[in-house]
Amino acid sequence: MKYAFFPGCVSRGACPELMQSLTAVADHIGMELELMETASCTGAGVISERNQKLADALNARNFALAEQTGLPLMNICSTCQGVMSGVNERLKARPEYLAEINEMLAEEGLSYSGKADPRNFMWVLVEDFGLDNLRKLVKRPLSELNVAPFYGCYISRPTDVLGYHDFPQRGVYLEMIIEACGATPVDYSGKKKCCGFPIITMNRENSLTMAGNHVGEATEKGADFMVTPCPLCHLNLDAQQPDAARVVKTPLNLPILHLSQLIGMALGIDDAALGLNRHVVSTNPVRERVHALPLA
Amino acid sequence: MLEHDVLVVGAGLAGMQAALHAAKQGVSVAILTKVHPVRSHSNAAQGGINAAMEEDDPWEDHAYDTVKGSDYLGDQDAIEVLCSEAPETIIELEHMGVIFNRGSRGQIDLRAFGGQARKRTCYVADITGQVMLHVIYEQLMKAGTQVYEEWFVTSLVRQNDAVCGVIAMDLRSGELHLIKAKAVILCTGGSGRVYEPSSNALICTGDGYAQAYRVGAPLMDMEMVQYHPTTLPGNGALMTEGARGEGAYLINANGERFMERYAPNMMELASRDVVSRAEQTEINEGRDINGCVLLDVRHLDRNTIMQKLSQIRELGLEYEGIDIIEEPCPVRPGMHYMMGGIKTDIEGATFVKGLYSAGEAACVSVHGGNRLGANSLLDTLVYGKRAGTSAVLYADGISSPDIPDSRLQEDREHINGILSRNSEQGERAAALRLAMGQTMHQHVGVFREQSGLEKAQDTIATLKERYRNVSVDDKGKVFNTDVLFALEVGLMLDVAEAIVASALFRTESRGAHYRTDFPERNDDDWLKHTLVFSDESGPRLETLPVTITQWQPARRTY
Amino acid sequence: MQFKLNVRRYDPEAENPAPYWREYNVDVPENATVLDCLIHIREYIDGTLAVRCSCRSAICGSCMMRVNGQARLACATKAKDMQEAGEAITVEPGGNMPVLKDLIVDMDVFWSKIRQVKPWLEPVQPIPEREYLVPNETILDLTVAMNCVMCGACVSDCTSLEVDKNFIGPAALAKAYRFVDDPRDEARQERLEELSDYGGVYDCTHCFFCVEVCPKDVAPLERIVEIRERAQGAGVENNAGTRHAKAFEGIIRDSGILDEPMLLLKSIGMNPVEQMKNVPGGVRLLRAGKLPLASGPFHHKIPGHGNVKRLFEKVEAGQEA
Repeated sequence: MKYAFFPGCVSRGACPELMQSLTAVADHIGMELELMETASCTGAGVISERNQKLADALNARNFALAEQTGLPLMNICSTCQGVMSGVNERLKARPEYLAEINEMLAEEGLSYSGKADPRNFMWVLVEDFGLDNLRKLVKRPLSELNVAPFYGCYISRPTDVLGYHDFPQRGVYLEMIIEACGATPVDYSGKKKCCGFPIITMNRENSLTMAGNHVGEATEKGADFMVTPCPLCHLNLDAQQPDAARVVKTPLNLPILHLSQLIGMALGIDDAALGLNRHVVSTNPVRERVHALPLA
Repeated sequence: MLEHDVLVVGAGLAGMQAALHAAKQGVSVAILTKVHPVRSHSNAAQGGINAAMEEDDPWEDHAYDTVKGSDYLGDQDAIEVLCSEAPETIIELEHMGVIFNRGSRGQIDLRAFGGQARKRTCYVADITGQVMLHVIYEQLMKAGTQVYEEWFVTSLVRQNDAVCGVIAMDLRSGELHLIKAKAVILCTGGSGRVYEPSSNALICTGDGYAQAYRVGAPLMDMEMVQYHPTTLPGNGALMTEGARGEGAYLINANGERFMERYAPNMMELASRDVVSRAEQTEINEGRDINGCVLLDVRHLDRNTIMQKLSQIRELGLEYEGIDIIEEPCPVRPGMHYMMGGIKTDIEGATFVKGLYSAGEAACVSVHGGNRLGANSLLDTLVYGKRAGTSAVLYADGISSPDIPDSRLQEDREHINGILSRNSEQGERAAALRLAMGQTMHQHVGVFREQSGLEKAQDTIATLKERYRNVSVDDKGKVFNTDVLFALEVGLMLDVAEAIVASALFRTESRGAHYRTDFPERNDDDWLKHTLVFSDESGPRLETLPVTITQWQPARRTY
Repeated sequence: MQFKLNVRRYDPEAENPAPYWREYNVDVPENATVLDCLIHIREYIDGTLAVRCSCRSAICGSCMMRVNGQARLACATKAKDMQEAGEAITVEPGGNMPVLKDLIVDMDVFWSKIRQVKPWLEPVQPIPEREYLVPNETILDLTVAMNCVMCGACVSDCTSLEVDKNFIGPAALAKAYRFVDDPRDEARQERLEELSDYGGVYDCTHCFFCVEVCPKDVAPLERIVEIRERAQGAGVENNAGTRHAKAFEGIIRDSGILDEPMLLLKSIGMNPVEQMKNVPGGVRLLRAGKLPLASGPFHHKIPGHGNVKRLFEKVEAGQEA
């Protein structure tokens, strides 16, 4: 189980704890990662509004870099996943367009075949590693903990671009993983809605209302914490939570964990190795509850 | 008090066109419609709109094809207006914003359609009607024309010898209102729901036919009911004639292109009555696949299908689970269009003063015994404009009507009667409609004969009797769609009665009206229109001569 | 075939009007749509059920409602596909619009937003005697947007509208695109400016709900992105959205990887009020050890970032040629 690991920007920027925890979990479960150091940002759906072709070329370059390693490509961000899937579909559908882009990649000695299948860590975990295997490794089932899943838009829609046809359960993987970790998923209406991050600089009020609504609703439904496979959602739900609370006029204090942190806790990995101290909303209440749980 | 100079009923293409042109004259105009304008059934016209756009295509050729298509029953003065005004109508639409598909020079492209000697159909993929409807609604928004949206006319108000308003229900509140109007234009579309199945939308209940008929305006050529050759067996949805225009084949169970035997020259592009009859013959003689023949586009270029026929591909996928790129699709003739309707002159005026009509609701008559594909959109616009314009001229000359409030009370009592009946003991409107629809399809469909028509006549009479005891579950006021449907069924029964009476009356075969007991066209006795009036004792039939200008009746082959 | 439907009902004339659920069992053909089931209920089981419907073939746009939690056209949704073992199909009115009765919502707000984008052609002058000459590729592109049947599915499930009634919304923006992209329209620049303003294209949050639920493949979000691209291309740049996109593009061009603080600063621009709003957030990030200050005040770059920059230049050079 070895992957060309596309880290994205945020895990090397404002969410270092994501990189930390992901690496720790991968080590623990025997997943080998070859870091794609020279890969660029996907454009995050922003560069495409300046120049669609530019965004396509950047992603084709990343796919080509992954192909050079001969390994399947794995990302750790819902937004990266969505952009990659969207671009990939476009490139596959238009061979002449791909050829044109390949010409531009040639100078760097790169070429993309059109055959990549970029997948998020969440998908890889379920589809390649398997939840039965994960269950076997769980040292500390997170029983009695209620966890609110938060998917991120880009990994949820459009379903036809994201391979839901072949993998219809991709829409419930988070819940499945939460259960495999021994915890109970919390159902609430916001779990697949937008966190607000994409408009935080353009319409702060709307952005924070979205974040605040989801955190508030999850809290109301009894969540002890929230988990997300998307670091951008994480930024808006965690780092902006105090401001979001003011906007929605509700006190909020819900820890937001990265998916790899949730898994790491169930695997019994050390808190420090998971970067659980690097959050804006303190994860201490969760950590205390978890430490009080019996080992399996 | 609600009052307008001109009130248009119905907001399909004909209605909106009439309203726009009436409003241009600076009088008070409003549209009343039982659904939001863009929900109207003009949407369903997929294939296109005919016009002689090319320099080497004189409009007279279009007119000739239309006359021939009508089996010489169309009034030629009306057809001349239709075809000569077609090109300017297309340009007007293009300037409004309709995104007609283009040819290599960026000019409006043309596709082939049934019953025409050359390509003459302007189109927008296979959503021509939808695009036109939405674009003309854009113009209505721009003009700021008042729309009584989700209102339903319960009856026309006729005083002395003129129509001068309507009684209508605001469906949202359930309240009945009197709307005074110096002129009323009925653009209420067709009555597909009189038949089961039908390609038509659920709103096509022929309200205008029955309402005009009830106030003394005669209906013309009501026996001329078009069966479209390619409708889906499941829900009756339409698969555009544009598919055959692009080269699709029709094949039977033996894999034969059977049209060779019926229309060796035009093949699949013969006129609709001819193709539907051919299909029904194949089906009746056992060369069918579960009551259907097959529409085959597999030999067409994939891009052509994706760009020009994408909607019908979706329909095939959605309703039959068939990808037309890969597999032929079962189709059968399905009730589609009423050539007949409220008799009007070429200015849209009916036999009753103050009452105008255009579009499928009207019978000018440009379609005669059989409408050519892609002539109906044209009809709505050319005659919608004329009706709108002439209604204003009429309204200009008269004073505001004076209508007593008691008139409102009549309709209120009728509705209260339905509401007050116990729904356990009363008749369900749906059951009545289904029985009517099945009878009409069985006996007044592609092939007809005396005894079947008489059976249909008896059945409709019985259903009308049962309808007196119709009841509803919903006793409320807000969006009482139960009452609405019951009222529609009452109107439809009148339409059915008029169709059957006209079909019994015409003892020959012409266009869509094929009598197996009178299989030949009979110009000596029947080169004339049927006209049906509503008398207290039932339908009364008369005839009207056909207007012939330059094309003498001839044998019709394709 | 038997289907079980759980329908959210609402009777505004009840003594204390409140939504409630009612379950129905229907026996209909196997390939019946959800609309067929509802019509069957209305015609033979319970005539009080109110639902808008007309064409039965996904062109009139009347029967938009939420089926199993997602906005759909009931007539284009097979009941069989919605029925999960032992569970009822849930049917509710569309979202983001007030319910008038049962499955009927008030679409006035929807239409007022459509009117807001001045949805009619402002023809380029002088108007030609014949048709405007337009390349067919342009027509095919416009056809995607004109496919819209105004059913309101995208509006029902739009997450921006959910928090901000001022947002023009996906349907109206897709409609606006249809004019922005039409070479026969004269008001393009004016439209692009208005659409870039408050409530416009930059208030869309990229949630893809509109793309997911649109029954006609209009993909409103893609049309919104295209409006942004055209607006920015036409020099409509004085807005936070463009600043954000330009800053983003610039940072990736120079370093291959995003620098969030820098992006924030550049996006907000020289607006001290907006900058101040972001100070507490920045401080929180710092305290949590989340800003990559370890690497010094200068932003990190990916190794070989020059390759990315050269790719930018090549794509742009190709487009200028």
